[in-house]
Amino acid sequence: MFHWLERNPFFFAVGVFIVIAYAGIVTILPDFMNSARPVVGTKPYTVLQLAGRHVYIKDSCNACHSQLIRPFKSETDRYGMYSLSGEYAYDRPFLWGSKRTGPDLMRVGNYRTTDWHENHMLNPAEIVPGSIMPKYPHMFKNVADIETAYAEALTVKKVFNVPYDKSGMPKLGTLEEAKAQALKEAEEIVANMKSPEVKEALKRGEIKEIVAIIAYLNSLK
Amino acid sequence: MQPSRMINYDYTVAKYFAIAAIILGIVGMLIGVFIAFQMAYPELNNLAGEYGTFGRLRPLHTDAVIFGFLLSGIWATWYYVGQRVLKVSMAESPFLMFLGKLHFWLYLVGVVAVVISLAMGITTSKEYAEFEWPIDIAIVIVWVIWGMSIFGLIGIRREKTLYISIWYYIATFLGVAMLYLFNNMAVPTYFASGGIGDWWHSVSMYAGTNDAMVQWWYGHNAVAFVFTVPIIAMIYYFLPKESGQPVFSYKLSILSFWGLMFVYLWAGGHHLLYSTVPDWVQTMGSIFSVVLILPSWGSAINMLLTMKGEWGQLKENPLIKFYILASTFYMFSTLEGPIQAIKSVNALAHFTDWIPGHVHDGTLGWVGFMIVGSLFHMAPRMFKREIYSKKLMESQFWIQTTGIVLYFSSMWIAGITQGMMWRATDQYGNLAYSFIDTVNVLHPYYVIRGLGGLLYLIGFMMFAYNFYKTMTASKAIEKEPQFASPMAA
Amino acid sequence: MNWLNDNVNMLALLGAAAIILITVFVVAKYIKQMKEDKSTGELAEENWDGIGEYKNELPIGWSLAFLGTIVWGLWYFLIGYPLNGYSQIGEYNEEVQKYNTKFENKWANPDEETLMGMGEGVFFVQCAPCHGVTGDGINGKAADLTVWGSEAAIVDVILKGSKGLNYPLGEMPAGLLQGDDAKAVAAYMVEKIAKLGKSKNPDLVAKGESLWAVCAGCHGQNGDGMGGNSPSLKNYGKPEFVVDVLNRGKAGNIGVMPKFNDGRLSDIQKLAVGKYVNSLSQ
Repeated sequence: MFHWLERNPFFFAVGVFIVIAYAGIVTILPDFMNSARPVVGTKPYTVLQLAGRHVYIKDSCNACHSQLIRPFKSETDRYGMYSLSGEYAYDRPFLWGSKRTGPDLMRVGNYRTTDWHENHMLNPAEIVPGSIMPKYPHMFKNVADIETAYAEALTVKKVFNVPYDKSGMPKLGTLEEAKAQALKEAEEIVANMKSPEVKEALKRGEIKEIVAIIAYLNSLK
Repeated sequence: MQPSRMINYDYTVAKYFAIAAIILGIVGMLIGVFIAFQMAYPELNNLAGEYGTFGRLRPLHTDAVIFGFLLSGIWATWYYVGQRVLKVSMAESPFLMFLGKLHFWLYLVGVVAVVISLAMGITTSKEYAEFEWPIDIAIVIVWVIWGMSIFGLIGIRREKTLYISIWYYIATFLGVAMLYLFNNMAVPTYFASGGIGDWWHSVSMYAGTNDAMVQWWYGHNAVAFVFTVPIIAMIYYFLPKESGQPVFSYKLSILSFWGLMFVYLWAGGHHLLYSTVPDWVQTMGSIFSVVLILPSWGSAINMLLTMKGEWGQLKENPLIKFYILASTFYMFSTLEGPIQAIKSVNALAHFTDWIPGHVHDGTLGWVGFMIVGSLFHMAPRMFKREIYSKKLMESQFWIQTTGIVLYFSSMWIAGITQGMMWRATDQYGNLAYSFIDTVNVLHPYYVIRGLGGLLYLIGFMMFAYNFYKTMTASKAIEKEPQFASPMAA
Repeated sequence: MNWLNDNVNMLALLGAAAIILITVFVVAKYIKQMKEDKSTGELAEENWDGIGEYKNELPIGWSLAFLGTIVWGLWYFLIGYPLNGYSQIGEYNEEVQKYNTKFENKWANPDEETLMGMGEGVFFVQCAPCHGVTGDGINGKAADLTVWGSEAAIVDVILKGSKGLNYPLGEMPAGLLQGDDAKAVAAYMVEKIAKLGKSKNPDLVAKGESLWAVCAGCHGQNGDGMGGNSPSLKNYGKPEFVVDVLNRGKAGNIGVMPKFNDGRLSDIQKLAVGKYVNSLSQ
């Protein structure tokens, strides 16, 4: 029978396709709806946090940091409560990572603060002796892309019904409103920072990448 | 039916891809060695501003070797092996010739776009699927052209029964097509929001746990269909061809093939053990990973048994050495992977350096050696010259083998040490080490790993030189050899 | 450390050994066949570019091993991690419960030595990355715990202020008192409020008492923190004060010290850290 297949490329290809395709259907589909449901209290990211998330992705922080606390005592003692599926309901893409060159960041907002991040991003080895994390001075120079973040928030609101603008959820509004809101959130963060460069930029209405990424990291709880 | 020797095979496209494989191989491995040393000496991160950090370079490394070196290598062998086992020359069909060339040039455009966008930090963050949607579309087009080339050549074949290698090339084409399409489903935000923000930005169709499941269904099986399946296609052609030995068992070939196809796609769940994906998906991932050992080993054993009684060839011919060691590393890493997929072992191994160690057992030992060995076999036939230097090839083999051993042994020790330190508690039940303790302890292993990678890169440069000399300066041969490749001492 | 009491460690090491041993053994077997055996069999009729193919049977060891993994898979599926009965969160809850029961039984009434040992263990992991292994604060990176709790440290706080404890009455500004006045209040606090023993400046105690009103506005006449509105200075220099900081966090030079009130440390562990930190300055 197989020998017959080897003389009929068309049926051979169909056979291969069926054999490789079914596993994905069986493993992914059954729990698809369940896994998409948010845990009570989980909120979508604000535009500023989303812009920070883009910085996180741009510099591939996820290449070295996980955002997934496994249910072992050794992990919950170190990082806090284990992760729940619903906590990731608004994470597009997911950022679990696959390697912990640095520690997990799933709940870093619980135990690190704006000023700590500011010092640490400038020179990690000074804050944590022996750290092999690169320095990120360019985050203090580059301007965060609020517009793209807004476009993404608007897209997920429209296409995937992410509950922006619902009661108790982050407000999105128009692009202008969103920019004003982001600026307001940025001000709260910059108040706890010391870099004059960042402070002056904010006065001009510019939000530096470092501010956005700190907003994002602080939101991880 | 003409005897195969009388068909005038056209290797134009194979030559293009062979050269691309070598150049992109050097680029990818060079970045790899550099980022390996960054982990030992973090000051190396600040040589080129934001463009030189580990985070920016790591996707460039993985994508340059996977989609640069590997794909080029796979395609070089396809445009060589395909014609020969189907007994038809590309010169017979101007259309297929055109497709082949289009395939190559479009692919090069894609490579340039990838390098630029990743260096700029334009990435979706999904491992081995980092490219934004415009590049994804280009990749789909390139892939479709390759598919047309495969089935076009099969359509005009003279040899009616498809050889084993062709099965594996077909599977590569279909598998990657399916996986790539589903994993890269995304909504471009510029269009959905009515023209706001960057035009190339997109947002994933799936969120959180579902996104992770689709990604690792892709990520794991991309390994299957780029690192495993097409490389098996290579060994099934090049080892019997170089040695002149018939394949040991048709039954073993066929069972391994269908077994691999049937089992592989299930195993993606093992990347997500103890995560928030449903328990049953994780359990299935572990089970199928372990069952996968035997279909994988089937092909390797089939190749080792093909060499029964041929110890002399193994001693004399460095190319056979490459193939046999590649099979051995294939067995090694296809046993290692499943063992790491057992839940209790994964609890320790996941997130540690043992995983990159495992990946490189397979990529350096199996994939790298097979592509090098295949291109070496093709060179005298493509350029009608003998291989420039056997001695150089011998030393390359030993240098690279040493490199691999240094690489995996250091990463094994580093990974297991770190995994144990993360779990360790003192007599009172407190965690015994802070995170930074578990980083500092790895320094020597990172240095050794960097050196291992450097040795492998040096060996690869020797290969590039040897190949270049074969192409340009080696002694011409009049008649193509039936089996063993001619090489100058 | 009992590395091998952990079955995860055990299985990982066994797995690593198995990978090497099985591969080497199997490959050695085939290498031997390359050296000694001959290739035989009936050839198939096809021939691709000179490559033939034998119609040999499957190797028996391979087939048996294949069946073996399938049996193992069934075991994993039905008994090891039964598909409808296993939950990783359940497993976690069991792990934690087992640990807690054991911990409570063993350390219900820890003696001084136990607490010091336990505190030292936690300190090395959770505190030492910023405060240094000796607790000296690594050149001003974090509070110098080798002087904390002393009279000099009180003067330092008065001069520099204290932030980040998040008490209702807010943060203590820097420089409420200067020079000898600060020293005098510190002397008074050591002897009369925190009752840490004899002051180094006994002659300033009386002056300190007269200046105490500056502090009493927030900390209360007797220094008890006015019912939780500000830190109780009665506890200063004692383990309880450290526990309070652990629960509330504290602003430092490189950033805010995290709170440890999220379950990562148990009450006994916090007390142990308090004892240990307190011992650093004595």
